[in-house]
Amino acid sequence: MSDLINLNFTVNGEKKHIKLDPSMTLLEILRNILKLTGTKEGCGKGECGSCTVLLNGKAVNACLVIASQLEEAEIITIEGLGKGEEIHPIQKAFIEEGAVQCGFCIPGMIMSAKALLDENPHPSEEEIKWGISGNLCRCTGYSKIVSAIEKAAKER
Amino acid sequence: MRRFSVIRIRSLEHLFDLAEKGMTNPYFLAGGTDLLIKIKDDLLIPPFTVLDISGLQELRSIHFEQDYVRIGSLVTHGEIEKHPELRLLFPSLTDACHGVGSPQIRNRATIGGNIGNASPAADSIPPLYVYGAELHLVNSKGERWVKIEDFFTGPGKTIRNPVEIIKEIRIPAEKRDYGTYLRLGQRKALAISKISLALAGKKKNGSMEDVKIALGAVGPTVIMAVETSLYLRGKELSSEVIKEAGNIIEKEAEPITDLRSSKEYRKKMCSTLLVKALTNWKQVA
Repeated sequence: MSDLINLNFTVNGEKKHIKLDPSMTLLEILRNILKLTGTKEGCGKGECGSCTVLLNGKAVNACLVIASQLEEAEIITIEGLGKGEEIHPIQKAFIEEGAVQCGFCIPGMIMSAKALLDENPHPSEEEIKWGISGNLCRCTGYSKIVSAIEKAAKER
Repeated sequence: MRRFSVIRIRSLEHLFDLAEKGMTNPYFLAGGTDLLIKIKDDLLIPPFTVLDISGLQELRSIHFEQDYVRIGSLVTHGEIEKHPELRLLFPSLTDACHGVGSPQIRNRATIGGNIGNASPAADSIPPLYVYGAELHLVNSKGERWVKIEDFFTGPGKTIRNPVEIIKEIRIPAEKRDYGTYLRLGQRKALAISKISLALAGKKKNGSMEDVKIALGAVGPTVIMAVETSLYLRGKELSSEVIKEAGNIIEKEAEPITDLRSSKEYRKKMCSTLLVKALTNWKQVA
């Protein structure tokens, strides 16, 4: 296999310098090396969106990015959204709207919502649905998730 | 996921040096949204070498020139769908890119990857046919320009040599009166197209002058509906003409039955999509 590579990247504002196998996925790096287990593994093939994180400001599936692609990358995970003890307004809106049931999809769902609202602060209902179309939820039926994102957009 | 051998390509020169030395089963990694899944599914037989070209900045830009628009092969579907000037010139292409995968996939998946992967159901390819795109292929020995319709030889198969890179896609910067892309899939997001239709056309004195139609997922490669285009030339967009064009394309398409759809359904849907596209054109005209 390949020699390890020296990788410099930023996770939730913290600079990291790690020696890694270049074929390791971002998801494996986050969960197994950095112990940031808020990012979930669902399908592992880019279908479910459970592992959604922001890579240079854009929503991506962490299961479909490998270490060799991460030089100088800036990554934000669900752990990086709040400020200290204070949770992010999108997280607050999800709680208030009862948008969380089993919770497994929620970190990815919230990261997709964050990417959407960063780009389009006042999305229509259709735009919200399209924005989370890469995230599967098997509990809620989505309507409370959409309401939560609408609420977060209003309160920004 | 299993570990595999990856080389991070620093420049085209670096790639060409490696190519000259020889490599076992090289595969390019651009966005990774197809290749990494193939590796996870054990569809690539070891030993193979992944050449990570995703850091090649020179392949990431879009240039508007007098005669051509040049799109670097590492430009993502997300960048194309949101590009206002591309939307004005090539709406069929921006529509197609808008429907690929999911936001997360579109943020990574590249147009060069979509072409190189050569799926007959690839969404970006039918629009490139109707807009007359050409590919710039480069390797250590030299370079060549290839028309998009000469590039594909079958599902997943192209004329590209293993270490030949698709450097850019150039499209004649010609404004049409109408362009659209319609697709049918199991659902709106994250579904492979069962059938797709790209259309771009011009009008002259109220009649259709030049209409190009390409169909995806109805054959081993994307195909052009040549007879249907010929029929439409010089005709007005009337309900009768639209209906007849639907009949012609249904005869012209020769799809197969596979796990996603039957042959009969695909034939009917070629007609349905064309009627819809032409009706939409009539309404905006």
